[in-house]
Amino acid sequence: MTFTGAIGAVCMFPLRALIALSVVLRVHPNVLTLIGVLINVLAAWALAVGRFTLAGGIMIVANIFDFIDGKVAERRQLGSDFGGFWDSVMDRFSDISLFIGLIYLYAQLGRTDYVVITALAMMFSVLTSYTRARAESMIEKCKVGFMERPERIVLFMIGAFTNRMAAVLWVIGVLSIVTVADRIFYTWRELSRAQPGTPA
Amino acid sequence: MTLSRQLALPLVVLWNALFWTYDRATWQYDLMVIAILAFVWLTPPAWLGDPMAAGPGLLGWLDALLG
Repeated sequence: MTFTGAIGAVCMFPLRALIALSVVLRVHPNVLTLIGVLINVLAAWALAVGRFTLAGGIMIVANIFDFIDGKVAERRQLGSDFGGFWDSVMDRFSDISLFIGLIYLYAQLGRTDYVVITALAMMFSVLTSYTRARAESMIEKCKVGFMERPERIVLFMIGAFTNRMAAVLWVIGVLSIVTVADRIFYTWRELSRAQPGTPA
Repeated sequence: MTLSRQLALPLVVLWNALFWTYDRATWQYDLMVIAILAFVWLTPPAWLGDPMAAGPGLLGWLDALLG
């Protein structure tokens, strides 16, 4: 088992209990998704006022809800196309809220450079999701590039807990740009292969 | 012959790191995570002009200790 695989396995123990509890209490998965988003907005507020450790703690709670909603839907056989759509839209809402919290903080501190870096990281994070969604309306799969949502969320937490948010924003920004480029290249290549001789 | 085979080894490594196709929980993923964590935790915040971080970071601390 790899290092990151072992961490994932350890984290799954308490999450299984929470999934079982949600199933017993018959909580609808879409409600769990919404609760996760609302908690993430609180985390954004904590980032905006510079309380990073608090923000990190709130993000953990928010992302527990975000993680278990799909599993609860599966267990209760409530999975639906709308549920998937709702989950994706709420994920973007959560992500953008966190970035806006940081933009507010850096604007308050008069740090235009980090306002721009955070805005760029936000733009390419949204484009990471958009390029995949748009590509998969034309090709079967477009799962290339490193910086997806789970990586972004874990990095946000690491930045918050260890007070290294600037470095985290650089990593998210640069790797999101690379991920978007990967997805554009991969989609172009797959479409070119599917339609040889015609420009993609 | 694929593009990767046409390139020299360092370029292949660079290409594979940039054009990322590996799954999570692979050794390549772990290596990338270690590289990211090293950047986040070792880079002195002053180098990045971090407006919030306190302290010099591990590299800055070592630099002060050795210098």
